[in-house]
Amino acid sequence: MSIKGKAAIVGYGETEFLKRNPGDRSNYTEYCRAAKLAIEDAGLTKDDIDGLISIYPLDEEPTWTEDLQEYLQLHPRFLDNVYRGGASGNAAILYGAAALAGGLCNNILIVAGSVMDPKRIYEFGLETGTAFERDFDSIYGPMFNNSAYAMIKRRYMHEFNATDDQFAHVVINARYHASKFPNALLKKQVTVDDVLDSRLICDPLHLFEIVMPCVGGCALVMTTAERAKDTKNSPVYLLGGGQQFDRGLWNPAYGYERSLTTSPVKLAAKYAFEMSGLGITDMDFVELYDCYTITVVISLEDIGWCEKGEGAAYVEETDLTYKGDMPLNTDGGQLGRGQPNPGIHLMHSIEAARQLMGRAGDLQVEGATFGLSNGNGGSMADQCTLIFGNEIP
Amino acid sequence: MSTEIEYTKPLPTIEPETEEYWKAAKRHELFLQRCNACGEVIHFPRVMCYRCLSEDLGWFKSTGIGSVYSFTIIHQVAHLGFESEVPYVYAIIDLDDGARMISNVVNIDPSAVEVGMRVQVTFDDVTPEISIPKFEPIS
Repeated sequence: MSIKGKAAIVGYGETEFLKRNPGDRSNYTEYCRAAKLAIEDAGLTKDDIDGLISIYPLDEEPTWTEDLQEYLQLHPRFLDNVYRGGASGNAAILYGAAALAGGLCNNILIVAGSVMDPKRIYEFGLETGTAFERDFDSIYGPMFNNSAYAMIKRRYMHEFNATDDQFAHVVINARYHASKFPNALLKKQVTVDDVLDSRLICDPLHLFEIVMPCVGGCALVMTTAERAKDTKNSPVYLLGGGQQFDRGLWNPAYGYERSLTTSPVKLAAKYAFEMSGLGITDMDFVELYDCYTITVVISLEDIGWCEKGEGAAYVEETDLTYKGDMPLNTDGGQLGRGQPNPGIHLMHSIEAARQLMGRAGDLQVEGATFGLSNGNGGSMADQCTLIFGNEIP
Repeated sequence: MSTEIEYTKPLPTIEPETEEYWKAAKRHELFLQRCNACGEVIHFPRVMCYRCLSEDLGWFKSTGIGSVYSFTIIHQVAHLGFESEVPYVYAIIDLDDGARMISNVVNIDPSAVEVGMRVQVTFDDVTPEISIPKFEPIS
C-alpha cells in the first residue's frame, strides 16, 4: 500500500519571525499562535483536530507534545513527537500522512517553533552530545554544525574545483526572494562581494552563508484526501516521501559512502520520486533545506537536478528565481528568512503548499503543479524528501 | 607532564571501552581497535564491531600517519575554552591504517593547511591524566 495522494495539506500558519525575543514570546506563544493560524487557515475548529505531532523545542523535553496537548486542551487520538534534526518537519508530515491514510485520525496538526537565544543554541549543542562525541570530537573544539558543514564545503571545493564566488549565488537568490517575502528577516539584497566580504566564521564558510537563528513558529494542518475535497483551501496532496538516516548528527566524519560530498539526500529523493511516479523534470520548483550554501549545492545534485560536482557552477549560471528556469527556495529559504529552529523544519513544506495553493503573491511560480521539499538534519545526516502536487497524477 | 595553567577545554571521560585508548595516548601511542572476526579497523572505540556485530575486538598501535581529508579554520568558537586558540584547524584525518578521526592540525600556520596534506600524530599533554592526539605536518 502506498500513501501517495492519501493525505493533503489544507492550511498553514506562521508567527512573525523576529531576530531576538523581545521578552514576550515563549515556546508556548510560538506553538499555540502558529497552531491557531493553521487551524483557522484550514477552515477548521480546534475540536476538529484529532491528531497532533510537534517537534519539541531544543530547550524542552521530548514530553513537550503532551505538554502542548494539555496546554491547548486538545483531545487527539493520534499523538507523536518527532525529532530528526532539520528533517523533523518533513518526517512529521510523512508520518502524519501515514497516520491519516491508515485511519488513525482525520485532521492532524503539525507544529514547531523556537524562541531560543542563538548563543544558547551553541551551548546546547555542546551539552547534548553523546559520550563518544564529547570524547572524540568536542575535545577538538568544533563549532556545532558550522564546523561540520565547513569541512563538507572544503572537501567539495577540493574535489570539484568549486569557488566561493559560485556558492555566493545561493545567498543572492535567497536574499532576492526574501526581499519580496513578507515574513523574512534578511531582506537586504547582496552581491558576490558582499557574501565574500562577510567575515569567516569557519573557513571556508562566511557569515552570510550560514543561517541566522531567530524566533518564530510554524504549523500546518493535514487531512485525508477524501475530506480535503470540501476544505476552504485547494488541497496540496502528498504524492511521495522518502527518508534516509546516516552519519552522526553533529559529526560528518562517519557514514554515507565515507564521502562528504554525496549525501543521503540521494536515497531519500529516490524513494520519494518512486512513490510519486514523478521525476525531477516534473517539478515546477524545489524548496531545499538551506542551513548553509553547501547544503543547497549538494542537495541539488543528490535530488538529480544536476550531475555530481556541477551544482556550484549550476547555481552560478542558472536563474533560480520564482520566474526562472528552476525556482529554488521561493520564500527566501532560511538564508533569507532566518532559522527558528525547529520551526524552520516545517517552513520549506509550508512554502511548497503556499505555491501549490496559488497563494504566493508576488513570488508565485506560474502554473505550479508539482514541487519538492527536502528536510536535512545534523551534518547532512537525516534526510526526508517530500513531493507535493495540487493534483494527483 | 603536568600543566601549570588550568585546562578549560572539554576533557574526555574514561569509559570501560575507551580506557585502553587513553592509557595508550598517555604513553604517546595512538591505539585503534581491530575486529578479530572481520578485520575492520574501528575508531572511536566501541564494544561492538559496526560491520559484523562481533564483540571480539583487539587493539593495535597505529603508525599515526595519514592525510587531511578535510578541514576548517575556526574563527569563532562554540566553547569558550578554545577562544585563545583562534584561528585553529579542526579536521578529519584519514589514517593510513584505515581509520578516520576528527582532530586538530597543529604546529603549522592554519592558512598553509591543505586537503591531502600528509600528517603525523603528536600528543598534547593537557592534564596529568590526559594526552590528546593531534596531527602535525610530517617533518
